[in-house]
Amino acid sequence: MSLGALSPEAHEALAIAMNRLGARSNSGEGGEDPARYGTEKTSKIKQVASGRFGVTPQYLVNAEVLQIKIAQGAKPGEGGQLPGHKVDSTIARLRYAKPGIGLISPPPHHDIYSIEDLAELIHDLKEVNPEALVSVKLVSHAGVGTVAAGVVKAGADLITVSGHDGGTGASPLTSIKYAGTPWELGLAETQQTLRRNDLRGRVRLQTDGGLKTGLDVIKAALLGAESFGFGTGPMVALGCKYLRICHLNNCATGVATQHAVLRKEHFIGLPEMVMNYFRFIAEDVRGHLARLGVRSLDEIIGRADLLEQVDGSTPVQHKLDLHPLLGDAALAAQVDFACTLPRNPMRDEAALATRIDEATRTAVADRIGGEFAFDIVNTDRAIGARLSGAVARLWGDHGMDQHPVTLKLRGAAGQSLGAWNAGGVHIDLVGEANDGVGKGMAGGRIVVRPPEDSPFATQDAAIIGNTCLYGATDGELYAAGRAGERFAVRNSGALAVVEGAGDHCCEYMTGGVVAVLGKVGLNFGAGMTGGFAYVLDIERTFVDCYNHELVDILRISPEGMEHYMQHLRSLVSRHVELTGSEWGRRILADFRGLQYKFWLVKPKAASLAALAEELRSAA
Amino acid sequence: MSGKDFQFLNVQRQTPRTVPVSIRVLGYGEIAGDFAGPQAAGQAERCIDCGNPYCEHACPVHNYIPNWLKLVQEGRLTEAATLMHETNPLPEICGRVCPQDRLCEGACTLEQTAFGAVTIGSIERWVTDEAFRQGWRPDLSAVRETGKRVAIIGAGPAGLACADRLRRAGIAADVYDRQGEIGGLLTFGIPPFKLDKSVVRTRREVLEGMGVRFLLNRDVGRDIEFGQLLDDYDAVFVGTGAYTYVDAQLPGRELRGVHDALPFLIGNTERLLRDEAPAPAFDFRGKHVVVLGGGDTGMDCNRTAIRLGAASVTCVYRRDEANMPGSAREVNYSREEGVTFLFQRQPLEILGGARGNVRGVRVVETALMDDGSGRLRPQNVPGTEYVIDADVVIQSFGFLPSPPDWLRSHGVALDTTGRVITGAGAALPHQTSHPQIFAGGDNVRGADLVVRAVYDGREAAASIVQMLATADTNALAHA
Repeated sequence: MSLGALSPEAHEALAIAMNRLGARSNSGEGGEDPARYGTEKTSKIKQVASGRFGVTPQYLVNAEVLQIKIAQGAKPGEGGQLPGHKVDSTIARLRYAKPGIGLISPPPHHDIYSIEDLAELIHDLKEVNPEALVSVKLVSHAGVGTVAAGVVKAGADLITVSGHDGGTGASPLTSIKYAGTPWELGLAETQQTLRRNDLRGRVRLQTDGGLKTGLDVIKAALLGAESFGFGTGPMVALGCKYLRICHLNNCATGVATQHAVLRKEHFIGLPEMVMNYFRFIAEDVRGHLARLGVRSLDEIIGRADLLEQVDGSTPVQHKLDLHPLLGDAALAAQVDFACTLPRNPMRDEAALATRIDEATRTAVADRIGGEFAFDIVNTDRAIGARLSGAVARLWGDHGMDQHPVTLKLRGAAGQSLGAWNAGGVHIDLVGEANDGVGKGMAGGRIVVRPPEDSPFATQDAAIIGNTCLYGATDGELYAAGRAGERFAVRNSGALAVVEGAGDHCCEYMTGGVVAVLGKVGLNFGAGMTGGFAYVLDIERTFVDCYNHELVDILRISPEGMEHYMQHLRSLVSRHVELTGSEWGRRILADFRGLQYKFWLVKPKAASLAALAEELRSAA
Repeated sequence: MSGKDFQFLNVQRQTPRTVPVSIRVLGYGEIAGDFAGPQAAGQAERCIDCGNPYCEHACPVHNYIPNWLKLVQEGRLTEAATLMHETNPLPEICGRVCPQDRLCEGACTLEQTAFGAVTIGSIERWVTDEAFRQGWRPDLSAVRETGKRVAIIGAGPAGLACADRLRRAGIAADVYDRQGEIGGLLTFGIPPFKLDKSVVRTRREVLEGMGVRFLLNRDVGRDIEFGQLLDDYDAVFVGTGAYTYVDAQLPGRELRGVHDALPFLIGNTERLLRDEAPAPAFDFRGKHVVVLGGGDTGMDCNRTAIRLGAASVTCVYRRDEANMPGSAREVNYSREEGVTFLFQRQPLEILGGARGNVRGVRVVETALMDDGSGRLRPQNVPGTEYVIDADVVIQSFGFLPSPPDWLRSHGVALDTTGRVITGAGAALPHQTSHPQIFAGGDNVRGADLVVRAVYDGREAAASIVQMLATADTNALAHA
C-alpha cells in the first residue's frame, strides 16, 4: 500500500526494516517525503503507477529500482482510490493535491497504449536515472508469459508476476472473489515462455500476491522466481488486524490511517517486528532448503521438476492435471533457468542525451546554468530527462530554478521530450515534438514553436503529440500549435498554453492551469478535481465536448472575474512572447471581443473565490 | 467521512451503571443496571465493523455481533433480537453470565488497540430484555409440525437451547428435569445477583409459547424409566451437566463448617426461592470465611458469603491473578464487595478446633514454574507454611461429569473421566454411540461455560433434525 493509504509511521517502519535487512521496500504510488531520501527511511523501490502521484525527477533518482505498476494481481484493471478524508496536508503535499479531495489512480497508464509505449516509458526512466533497474509489475493471468516476453524485449530488468491473493485488505470484494489468478499459474507460464524464447537470462523474475511463509518462497523459487514480494505479512507484523476498513481513515491499529491520535497513540509497529517476521521466513526457507539437500536458494530457481502434484480431495480436483506447470517445457538444461546478466542489455545508445550530458556537466555541477544548442531528430528520445535526473540528484527538483540550463533545440524531437523535467531545465525547441512532451514535468520550462518560415496556421496544425504533461507536477509548457490526445492528464501543478487539443484533455487533473486557445476534443475535464482551464470556443461546440460529471464551465464576465480576465490575458501575452505565435497575437489584438468566447473550466468542488485567492497568492 | 467512523475514539466504552457496593451486598438483586435506549445505540456505534469480526470468531456460538450492533444503531430492536436468536437461543442469559472479557469483548479489536471493547454483553442483554418487554416473541408462524417428538433430559442451558431449535424445526420437545424450575445451574447454581431468577422465568414463558413442554420434578431413572423415553420418542437429548465436585482430599474436609461449593450455592438459591432465612450452617454473620479455588464458581461463593453477612471472606488460589480461571469482571466485583485474595497459596489441611468445628486452613506459598505445558505450574515453597484462621471453609475446586447409570446401561460410551463421547466415527456431531441418543453441555465437556452448553444444545438439535429427516427420506425410498 502507498503512503497515504498507510500512515507515514507504518510506511517508514516498513522501509527501515527492509533497508536494515538488505532488502527493498516499495514506495507504492504516493510519492515519498524528500526528507526520507538518503536516509534509512527511503524506499529503494519507487513505484511509477497510473496516477503518477509525487513522481518527480528527485523521487526517481532516489531509487535503486523503478517499478512500473501495470496492474495489481488482487484487483487487475482497477486502479486505486484514496478517499478525500485520508488526504491530509502531508499527503496532499507529497501527492501535489489538495487536502480533503479524493485521489484516483486511473485503471490504465495514459502513456501506455501498447508494448512500444511501455518500452518508451522504460527508456524514459532509464534516462532520468541510468543507475536504476526498471521493473514492470504484471498480473498473473493466462497469456502473461507472452506479455512478459514483450516486456523483456522492451528493456525491463525485472518482472513481477502478481497473483490474486494479495492486497485483499483494501481491494473490493468483487475483485478479490472474481478477478485474477494465483501467482503459481502466471509465474510458471512466464518462466516457461521466457526460457522457450531464450529471454530468461536477461531478466529477474519476482512474484507476489499473498506470499506469507517460507514454503511459499520455496514454491515460488521452484516455479522460477528469484525475488519475492510481501505485503500483508509484514503489515500484520506491524499491528494490522485485517479490519478491511482501510478506506475509512479510522484504522484502529494506526496502520492505514492519517488520523493523528490513532497514529500517535495506537500504532504499535516497530521496524524490528517486520525484521523478525522476515528472519522467521528466512529460517523457514533455510530449513526447507536443507530438506531439499541444497545449499542456496539460487540452486533451486526454476526447478519445477522438484514439485509434485498432491492428490486432490474432491472429484473436480481429481481431474486437475498440473503437469504442464511442473515440466521443463521440454527444453535443454543449458537454457537459462534464472537471470544471468546484471541488467537487461536492451538499451538505446542515446547519443544526443550523452552529448548533452557531457556539455552540461559543469553547468550543473557548479550550479551556474548556461545555454546549449543542439540539432535534434526524431530518434532522439527523452531528451532532457538525463539532464533533469542529474540536476535532481545534485540539487533536487527546484534547486536550479534560479540558474537555468537552456537547451536550444532545432528539428523534430522524438518521444518524451523534457520528460521529468526538473526546475531550471529550459527547453526551447524550434520544430515539432512527438508524444509525451513534459510527462512528469516537475519544473522548468518547455517551449515548442514552429520555424519562422513555417507555412501552417499554428492553431490548426499539431506541434506536439499525445499524452503531453501526463502526471506533471510543476513547470510551464508553451506550444505554438495543437496538442494531441490526452493533454495534461493527471496534471497536478504545471501551467500550459497550447492552441488546441485532442480528446480527454485535463482528465483526472488535480492542479495547475491549462489554457487552450482553440478547439478541443471530447471528454474534456473528466475526473478533474483540481486546478482550472481556459478554453477558447469560437465555434461554440465546447458544451458538447466537456465531461459534465465533475466540472462546471463559466463565461468570463467583467464583473467579479477581473482576476481571471487579467490572468488569461497575461498567459496569452507570455505565450506570444515565448513562441512568437501569430494566433496568440491576434487574440491579444482582439481581446475585448474574444474574451467572451473563453470558458473557464473549474471543478465543481472548488469555489470561484477560492480559485481567485489562489491566483492572487500565486501572482 | 461519517462521524460514526470515529465513535470509538470520541465516545468512551461505558457499561451500564452497576448498583453501588454498599447497597448491592445487602441483597441478591442483579447488580448490573440497564442501558437507556440511546445509550445502547451510542455504544453500539463504537463498533468499527472489522472485516474479520474477531468477536464473532471468539464467541462460542458465533453470534453475528457486528450485524446486530448495526441494527441497534439503527434502532431496529426487534430485528436485532431476531438476529440474536438465530445463533443463540438464550441471548439475555449469555449477555449476563458469559465472561465477555475472555470471549467476544476480549477479542474485540478495540480492546486490543486500547480503546476499550464495545459493550457487547450489555447490549445483547438489553436488546433481548427490551424486546421481550415490548412483547416481541420468536416468530414460529412459518414452522410446519413434523409430528416427530424428542425428549430432552435436563432443563439447563444445553437442554433449553436444544428445545428451542427443535421447535423451530417443527419437532415436539418435552423437557424433563428433576428440579421444580427450569434452568438447571442457571437457576440453582448461578447466584441471583448475576442472573435474576425472573429472567429464567421469562425465558420459560417464551419457550412454552413456542410449544416446549416442561415436565418438572421428574427424575429420569427414578420417576420415569429412561428406556421408556427411548420407546416413546424419536430421539433423546441428554444434557445432565457435571455435578460431581472435585475432591482435593484435604485432611479435615469432614469438619463442621466445611462446605462444597455447589450444595452451598444451590441451597442458598432454593431457600431464597422459598423466601426463607438461611439455615444455621449457612448463617455466616460474624464469621470468617475462606473460599478455596479461583474459578467463577469460587467467585460466586465469595460474593454469596459476603451477602450472608460474613465478617471477612478470603479467597485462596494456588496460581497468580493472571493465571486465574475466574473472569476478571467477577474478580473485580468480588474485590469491590470486600473479598481479600491470597494468590499463590496451596491449601494443605483444614484444621479443627473445639467440638469438631473448623479453626483454620494451613497453606503453603507457591512458586510458578514453566514446565512447557503452556500453563504455569505451582510448586510449593518449603518453609512458607502458615495458618489462615477460618470459621467456614468453602471448597470450590471444579466439577466433574456425573453420568447417570442409565446412560451406561443403554450402551452409551463414556470416556475415562465419565464424559459422554459424541460424534465419534460415523456418528453425527453430538450423537452418542447410541444412534437415538444425543448429548451436550457439561456432561460431554466437563464443567464449562453456559454459552458452550448452548452451542452443544443448538448443534445437537441440528443433528437430530438431520437424523430424523434422513430417516424419513430412507423410509420414503423403501416405501
